[in-house]
Amino acid sequence: MLKRRLPRLLAALLVVAVLVIGAFAAFAWRTAIAPIAPPAAASFAAAQVEQGRILAAAGNCVACHHGSAGALAGGYPLKTGFGTIYSPNITSDADTGIGRWSLAAFTRAMHEGVARDGSHLFPALPYDHFTKVSDADVAAIYAWLMTQPAVRAVSPANTIPFPLNIRALQAGWKMLYFHPGRFVANPAKSAEWNRGAYLAEGIAHCGGCHTPRGALGAEKPDVAYAGAALNGWIAPPLTAANPAPVAWTAAALATYLRIGSEPQHGSAAGDMSGVVHVGMAALPDSDVRAIATYIADGNASATRSAGDAAALARAAAVVTSTTDPDARLYATACGSCHYAGGKPPGDARPDLALNTALWLDAPDNFIQVVLHGIGVHDGAPGVMMPGYGRGFSDADIARIAAYLRRTRTTLAPWHDVPGRIADIRKQSDSAS
Amino acid sequence: MSTSFELNGSPVTVDVPADSPLLWAIRDSLGLTGTKFGCGIGMCGACTVHVEGRATRSCITAIGQVAGAKVTTIEGLDPAGAHPLQTAWIEAQVPQCGYCQSGQIMQAVTLLADFPDPSDADIDAVMNGNLCRCMAYVRIRKAIKAAAAGMRSAAHA
Amino acid sequence: MHKMRDAVGDAVPTRRGFLILAGAAGASFGFARAFASVEDTPAVGVPAPAPSDLFEPTIWYGIAPDGSVTVNIIRAEMGQHVGTALARIVAEELAVDWDKVRIVHVDSDPKWGTMVTGGSWSVWQTFPLYSQAGAAGRIALIEAGAKLLGVAASACTAAAGKVSGGGRSVAYGDIVSKGSVARRFTDAELKALPIKPVAERKLIGQPVPARDIPDKTNGKARYGIDAVLPGMVHARPKIPPTRNDSKVVSVDDSAAKTLPGYIRSITLDDPSGTVPGWVMVIADSAVTADRACDLVKVEWASGAAAGVSEKAIQDHGASLITGSGGALVVDDRGVEEAFGAARTRIEATYTTSSVLHFQLEPVNALATQVGDTWEIHTGNQWQSLILPTLAKALGVPETKVVMKTYLLGGGFGRRLNGDYAVPAALAAKAMGKPVKMLLTRADDARFDSIRSPSVQVLRMALDADGHATAMEHHATAGWPTQVMVPAFMPKGKNGIAYDPFAISGADHWYDVGAHRVRAISNDLANSTFRPGWLRSVGPGWTNWAVESFMDEAAHAAKVDPLAFRLRMLNGKGGGKGGGTVGAKADNAGSAPNAVGGASRQAEVLRQVAARAGWGTPMPKDTGLGIATTFGQERDMPTWVGCVAKVRVDRTSGNVKVVKLSIVVDAGTIVDPEGALAQVEGGALWGMSMALFEGTEIANGQVRDTNLDTYTPLRIGDVPELDISFIDSTEVPVGLGEPGTTVVGPAIANAIFAAVGVRLRHIPIRADAVRAALA
Ligand code: FES
Ligand code: FES
Repeated sequence: MLKRRLPRLLAALLVVAVLVIGAFAAFAWRTAIAPIAPPAAASFAAAQVEQGRILAAAGNCVACHHGSAGALAGGYPLKTGFGTIYSPNITSDADTGIGRWSLAAFTRAMHEGVARDGSHLFPALPYDHFTKVSDADVAAIYAWLMTQPAVRAVSPANTIPFPLNIRALQAGWKMLYFHPGRFVANPAKSAEWNRGAYLAEGIAHCGGCHTPRGALGAEKPDVAYAGAALNGWIAPPLTAANPAPVAWTAAALATYLRIGSEPQHGSAAGDMSGVVHVGMAALPDSDVRAIATYIADGNASATRSAGDAAALARAAAVVTSTTDPDARLYATACGSCHYAGGKPPGDARPDLALNTALWLDAPDNFIQVVLHGIGVHDGAPGVMMPGYGRGFSDADIARIAAYLRRTRTTLAPWHDVPGRIADIRKQSDSAS
Repeated sequence: MSTSFELNGSPVTVDVPADSPLLWAIRDSLGLTGTKFGCGIGMCGACTVHVEGRATRSCITAIGQVAGAKVTTIEGLDPAGAHPLQTAWIEAQVPQCGYCQSGQIMQAVTLLADFPDPSDADIDAVMNGNLCRCMAYVRIRKAIKAAAAGMRSAAHA
Repeated sequence: MHKMRDAVGDAVPTRRGFLILAGAAGASFGFARAFASVEDTPAVGVPAPAPSDLFEPTIWYGIAPDGSVTVNIIRAEMGQHVGTALARIVAEELAVDWDKVRIVHVDSDPKWGTMVTGGSWSVWQTFPLYSQAGAAGRIALIEAGAKLLGVAASACTAAAGKVSGGGRSVAYGDIVSKGSVARRFTDAELKALPIKPVAERKLIGQPVPARDIPDKTNGKARYGIDAVLPGMVHARPKIPPTRNDSKVVSVDDSAAKTLPGYIRSITLDDPSGTVPGWVMVIADSAVTADRACDLVKVEWASGAAAGVSEKAIQDHGASLITGSGGALVVDDRGVEEAFGAARTRIEATYTTSSVLHFQLEPVNALATQVGDTWEIHTGNQWQSLILPTLAKALGVPETKVVMKTYLLGGGFGRRLNGDYAVPAALAAKAMGKPVKMLLTRADDARFDSIRSPSVQVLRMALDADGHATAMEHHATAGWPTQVMVPAFMPKGKNGIAYDPFAISGADHWYDVGAHRVRAISNDLANSTFRPGWLRSVGPGWTNWAVESFMDEAAHAAKVDPLAFRLRMLNGKGGGKGGGTVGAKADNAGSAPNAVGGASRQAEVLRQVAARAGWGTPMPKDTGLGIATTFGQERDMPTWVGCVAKVRVDRTSGNVKVVKLSIVVDAGTIVDPEGALAQVEGGALWGMSMALFEGTEIANGQVRDTNLDTYTPLRIGDVPELDISFIDSTEVPVGLGEPGTTVVGPAIANAIFAAVGVRLRHIPIRADAVRAALA
């Protein structure tokens, strides 16, 4: 069957290819936008600058654009499967930052992923999300950036190999995967929902981590928020597929995003810690609730909550044996804090039977936290967990992981935990 | 690399790598030796201090994890060494060699903060991470209960 | 063994009277002693005596003009509150209030005689010495005070630090500040001094708050690890693959050189042979030394032990037992005949695993040279043992080495062996500045002088009535005393020297007819590691075997285990088959230390059985087990009886100890609180080694080096404890160890009572119970 259809198919493909190349050339070619004299800080209204500060925080710009020279001075290495990209300096420095970018140039970068000089930007800048941000909000972010101190700092050269380093090729990627356009409200939903969706889809770019990506690194829209693995962590699904035993309701999500921890689910660690403590921290409660409302609408928590009572009862009924060697290891290493004594678990006494990390398909998040702990500025405020990575062997951690999975969840054992531990250790060693 | 935090109420700065253990910053750089080193892997509790008022194992706490935080050691628990748990410890003649006891007391403070009237199960679960090699456990339990009773009645008075 | 203990532990120098020196600053009280006349062969480790009649006053305590009494303590403080226990003996006889007493733990100095803390000997040995010293002081003060008061000494009394007479009184402080005390007692006078009757004691036997405790609750207590000297650098060793005979082939520190603060790596050249193959990694901080150490690569030519396993050691031990070597420690006549004539013969083999000290403070030492003297700042239990080794390592006379005293973060026998001071001293010599060496926990475990694994074979002959007519006990293990102080080994009946610490306990107080005890040194163990003295040492394993075996024998004889024991604890003599040639002449006991003998052991057993409800029916899978021991050694028996109540989970094999009942007869109890604490700790140690603790030798090193896999008893494991003491005015004997010796077999016997399976190896792990039940 296929054989018979093949010649026709080939012909069609050829036509398409010609069209594509023509279109591609037109698409790939972008003009430079003329440099400007760096605008005076005083030229921006204070309210606009403040608005920009909040949005820049929500977008967590500093997570990627920080560097040794300063929070926005760039140089942070983003390791990709293809090579390392060093984030650029986005301070208002005229020569090494974006001081000579006009608002139009900045807006084009945010909405279309094109630099002032016309070159295409790597999609490491999540312009697939930023394109949804309104003109006014982009202008506010611009205002804020331009009023921040200029820092002279040149980022190291990227190590993306040829031919992937040809910027024009980004245009092809965009043609295939990028859908520019501002956020469009859903009239069927509430204003709060729409505000949450605007933030989550746009500046907060939640899908950047929580949506799986295809072979060329683009988010797969058909499985939005289905969860993804990155940098040795799992960004859990934000959909009904989230395995937490207690449903992530809007209220639980709002607490988590506001405080960094939610006693029936867990704490924000790794990159998520910055999302909460830098990003969400700047947003007013109403915005945080809006995001929670939007996410909770997509995760079926309304119906899943029916199982909460049973999950809580199951967690409360867990008894740590004192004679099983694995249980002893756990009780000794972890029990001082991870024990609630029949009381409802709190941020300082988290119940691991409820912790999302234990219920995920992969042990990555569990391993990360055991290895590195949670700093006093991560997770719940003032609550820290030390890291066991230096003292514990892979076998020790694997024993605790297996024990908890066996006694705290109803799920099948994790696969190859020692292998994952070794991989994650290697990854964090090379990152440091 | 220097890290600043608050130690027993005073601001301090230490110049050590960010992944250096808090324990050694306290003992060697800052000269407070009441916090002890037993296992170095978070399994004996001899190094227990408070970070933001809660017990943690300082041997596996990287100094970078506590930047800006409030850290309290046994020396700073009470200016006169007369915290109700310390008094109960002396009353019950708990320490033998004494090496584990700073950590035991610091852990017990957190225990009583969370469980003002702890059951034996609560004590076992929270104190199990603190090894007493002299096995002074019977007295540790006794002193915790005495201190808890004293603190409860003081709170009601 | 008696002789051995005197040599090891005799802190009492030969006395030539008691001297009181008074001056403006106060008065000091001590024995004048002649070094020349130590009765026994001079012990290894005792600083060389001056061969003359030179009198040197040694000072046990002093009284200051303000009336405060400073008592010098030569024992190490490691949790037994030894200063409080000993100083109060002086205070009692001197008649001063406890709040006037100060305790000073002194640095090593030849004037103190042998400095050793162990074997539960401190109170037992010091009691007569300090009682007499206190009494002599009191009499001298009364005489001087009487003069000041202008009344006859006979009309004066002393109490609460004052001499009273004629309606007036004068404080001790005032007496000494007038410089009016001058008195000397001869040995004979000293011995004749009246010691307070028991009824008049105010401090001894009363609860007195231990002086060392407050500082152990507020961070002020200073342990060896807390020692600091200006300009010191830090060291962590690279521990070679074998304890003995490792040689450094090459050292590559290129990676360490990238670490700021790393100084250098020193390959030690150790003339004392204590730490062969050690490389010391030196840095400006403990953390940097630790991390640099991980980066330094050392290649060794390792010793022959590199391939030795625990199984190889134990198999070797078992084969040694089938041979005929070793020392006969007890050798009654008629053993063969009794076995030949027996109705029933039973035999069983018992084994124990390697055990770590795991004292919570890892070993450490800070060494420096001050002028021409070397100072070693560290916590140590047996200064006199290591000083000559240090002197040899440093190439200086012993008088040029002094050990500075610190608290011990746990001793348990680990710090009897001061080997850890040597590498610090050698590194300080190489660096020309103070070096503080701290072992990581894993290093500490690998360098530990572990409790040797052991194999024991026991046999008993029973007659038709189920009475024992003969017993044999063959025990093999690594011998600490052979490896560390061979000169201290007494000779067995067959002329072969043995380590009493590795066999004590087998020479029990039961009347078993003809008795033979054979101790065999396991040379493979001795060459693989340095066997250590660990918490009661041999009695930890010999009693495990004896008391398990007694239970087996009782069941074989179809007699209740309590009754079976009681009828053998009859206080009668040893060998039935034609008299005794052994030391075990008599189970009736003798003065001063073992008055009452086996009858006192029978009494603790009866009492503990009654307290624990022996004989009452137990719930399913729950059982009571009984055991009794005499503590550390036959010459200084502390009588202990124990009943363990356990519950066994047949599915998992888990053993839950529900309750331990213990009755102790330790003679006079000087410090009731401290005594109770010692027995609590000792009993839980016994339980820990019975159920939770044990490692194994793999490739010449211990397999478990930290608490992730080495799992001592924790607070959650603690059973209900019922501990009581027999009221007694007999000589006070040791309490540091007895609890440790009795609990293990009681637990195993209780498991048998609960589910009918006999476990003959400790620690008893769940899988062994499961396997036995299957
Ligand atoms: S030293 Fe930190 S837990 Fe043991
Ligand atoms: S008192 Fe010695 S370790 Fe606890």
